[in-house]
Amino acid sequence: MIKVQFYSLIRILLKQEKLELSACENENVGQLLQRLQRQIATPFLHKLLDKKGEPILGTIIMVNRRNIHHLEKLETPVADSDVVALFPPGAGG
Amino acid sequence: MSRFSLKGWSGKLLRVDLTAGTCTDEVLNEQWAKEYLGGRGLGTKYFTEEVAADVDPFSAENKLILAAGPLTGTYGAANGRYMVITKSPLTGTIASSNSGGYFPCELRYAGYDMVIFEGKAEYPSYLQIHNDKAQLVGAVHLWGKSTKETEDQILAEFHGDAKIACIGQAGENLVSFAAIINDKHRAAGRTGIGAVMGSKNLKAIAVRGTGGVKIADPVAYREAALDSYALLKANPVSGEGLPALGTPVLVNVINQMGALPTNNFQKDTFDGAEAISGEALASTYLKRNKGCMGCVIGCGRVTGLAGSRFDGDGEGPEYETLFSLGSACGVDDLAAITKANYICNEYGMDTITIGTTIACAMELAEKGLVTEEEIGMPLSFGDADAMVKLVEMAGKREGFGEKLAMGSYRMAESFGAPELSMSVKKLEFPAYDGRGIQGIGLNYATSNRGACHVRGYMISPEVLGLPEKLDPQATEDKAVWTKIFQDFTATVDSSGVCLFTTFAIGAPQFANFLTAATGAEFTEATIMEIGERIYNMERVFNLKAGVDPSQDTLPKRLLEEPISDGPLKGEVAKLGEMLPEYYQERGWSTEGIPTDERLQTLGLV
Repeated sequence: MIKVQFYSLIRILLKQEKLELSACENENVGQLLQRLQRQIATPFLHKLLDKKGEPILGTIIMVNRRNIHHLEKLETPVADSDVVALFPPGAGG
Repeated sequence: MSRFSLKGWSGKLLRVDLTAGTCTDEVLNEQWAKEYLGGRGLGTKYFTEEVAADVDPFSAENKLILAAGPLTGTYGAANGRYMVITKSPLTGTIASSNSGGYFPCELRYAGYDMVIFEGKAEYPSYLQIHNDKAQLVGAVHLWGKSTKETEDQILAEFHGDAKIACIGQAGENLVSFAAIINDKHRAAGRTGIGAVMGSKNLKAIAVRGTGGVKIADPVAYREAALDSYALLKANPVSGEGLPALGTPVLVNVINQMGALPTNNFQKDTFDGAEAISGEALASTYLKRNKGCMGCVIGCGRVTGLAGSRFDGDGEGPEYETLFSLGSACGVDDLAAITKANYICNEYGMDTITIGTTIACAMELAEKGLVTEEEIGMPLSFGDADAMVKLVEMAGKREGFGEKLAMGSYRMAESFGAPELSMSVKKLEFPAYDGRGIQGIGLNYATSNRGACHVRGYMISPEVLGLPEKLDPQATEDKAVWTKIFQDFTATVDSSGVCLFTTFAIGAPQFANFLTAATGAEFTEATIMEIGERIYNMERVFNLKAGVDPSQDTLPKRLLEEPISDGPLKGEVAKLGEMLPEYYQERGWSTEGIPTDERLQTLGLV
């Protein structure tokens, strides 16, 4: 199973903290997100991706606690037992 | 008095001689205003011209300057900020601490850009300003009262619509990290400026102003404001993220990446992070968000503890507090952290320094360097009740609170273990471990007031990816980025605008605002040059004060002890790879001394 964790506005929007999905062979983060959106009735991907399907500036997506920006971005592979964390843009001080 | 010809600034400062009990208006120095703007820059210019660098922070010769910026109180973007400048009793460096709310704007509406306090009052006093009338009045009846009680009493006896900045018992007791609290819940928090105020027997400043801010080109200013509003609202951080979850949203982000300092930086992931996160706060004690005057972001957290084992209501905690009183102490009790935050606001204390000082005491206890008898209670990481109790004891300087009131460095030094203080230049770290995020480590080491994140918020590019994503573990180019962030921040801090606007607007917007407001011409280039001038001015003061470049460093733990857990396990701060390049970028000598040539270029000699 792949565990997806929802944070910030997405958690508020979806009213849930996480979701588990079965892994698909040769799937990457971008494909996982699209599959996730098809499975969840409430639209949430617009909080993470722009109209071209690229991460909005400030979006943080982690796979096993590593930012996909420094891996293979949306093409980062995901596999069974991976943990994917989704953070829409936020900031602090 | 000579004339001040520009708009934007009020063009007037109030000089208060506490020893003599007099209040005198002065025309603002117009040339300095153009070169240093206001707030942090202009306040520090006046301070360094008038006060010797070797001054004892608690002596009558030290001065305390409250300075708004030329944009404070206008409807520009989030323009409710001011700065307090003095010499810090905690660090021995220049101290300048920022706060926002309604008080800074009211000062402008009364007609003042700045108030300079000098000398020392014979007995507790406070300053009343009602437009152009200013007077010192007795505050014996307020001494010993909390910031809330003080504000309520002044509202009742002076003017119901006054805006107030004051100290609590911590400032009176010269706690070395005492804050000045305005509008009941907003803190000019860091570096102990509240203790300097207390040393002067000054309890509060109460202002009622009914004027406005004159704008040189109202049409251009309106355009600049509408442009910025649009950018701030469209930006997902300032338009949505910060209003909804505030700064606490970072608890989970920084914990996930493995850079959330835990148990006094002995770990960098916290099992209790979820319990003290912004998401947890939003679903428990958060009542609503709140902004400073005219702010379209509204990052403030209005909270209440009904239904918990504590009582009270107020504002906060912010992300920094959730770290300092939370993960740094191993405490995962959100109600206890919130309660301790309220106590800090009421006593007037910096939540970052008190939390990290308690965390340091917990490690001293863990290592057997301080006994249960000395503390007066058992103390270990994760003990929420002890944390809350110690916060109050520090404010009162009661029992072990006497040690805590020294700040972590002096406290740890007194137990023979200064290396357990997680600080730079005796100012404690905020909520990001410089071992896992290299640029913020460089910023901590070179910040002019010690380990401060908001002197150069490298978290923005290194973690949040704003304005572009940098690799947090890389050291390449971090010197260049850090210098840019430090210089631009110095300008923002001098304008009267909130730093959080810079997630959406940049130097071009600031140039437009300042040009339209003042009638003087500002460009992107002058915005950055002003910031660099301010940064070098502060550096020169620190050098004269004896804070030499050997202090541009990090604690041994960050330089030599690798992160022990999480995804960044094994990382150390690679300061040596960045510092020489940083000095070079700044045009300083290889020893970190600003060269005459650079100072001449910046108009500092």
